[in-house]
Amino acid sequence: MIENEIFRALADPTRRRIFEKLAVGGMNASSLRQGMEISQPAMSQHLSVLRKAGLVREERQGRFVNYEVDPDGLLLIARWLGKYRAYWPARVDALKILLKDMDS
Amino acid sequence: MSEEKPAEEAEAADREAVDRETADIVLDAELDAPPEKVWRAISRPEFREQWLPGRDLRDAEPVSSEAEAEISYRMKDDAPPFLESIVTFRIAPHGDGGTHLRILHVLADERVTPQPLKAANSNRPLRMEAMLRAA
Repeated sequence: MIENEIFRALADPTRRRIFEKLAVGGMNASSLRQGMEISQPAMSQHLSVLRKAGLVREERQGRFVNYEVDPDGLLLIARWLGKYRAYWPARVDALKILLKDMDS
Repeated sequence: MSEEKPAEEAEAADREAVDRETADIVLDAELDAPPEKVWRAISRPEFREQWLPGRDLRDAEPVSSEAEAEISYRMKDDAPPFLESIVTFRIAPHGDGGTHLRILHVLADERVTPQPLKAANSNRPLRMEAMLRAA
């Protein structure tokens, strides 16, 4: 269920792009909009979805609100766990193939 | 000999309980190859690269290693926010010429686990599985 919310949040290519920009470093909404054809209300809407999914958090700095990836988010951790739970069985299969190849 | 076995089993069970407490992901595998060969496959870069590619690691150099027993590498996720972690491969002889492999994977990113990375293996405040179950 929590994974679904992340999936939905990142299924949108614009939101994925916003998230990837923030992963490099925090910034405010107007900096985020640079290089993207997107209105201010649309950006706010996307940021709100990302925030509700626990992927992004906001921090007020004077007149500006800064956005950054929320590394404490349980959802981020859920994603990490999900990814590597699938990753290791596949690596073990590859290791078994290698061990066979090392015979010949 | 036979009376030693329950003690060994108890020790293995204890160790497993500790592993599951300290690692985020624990995966066991039985391999049909002797430990010295598995050791080469997990420790020598030219073999390791064939099943665990360097692009998935932060450093190709192991963080630590103990010959034919265990080796640890630092990893880095390839997707934002590129969380770092430490994986340990522990091997032991198993059955008739085989090897038991245990993979222990710990999320060790300063942004999530703010203590020094070295301590991540032994002393981590974050119980992610428990938190996720509670969520």
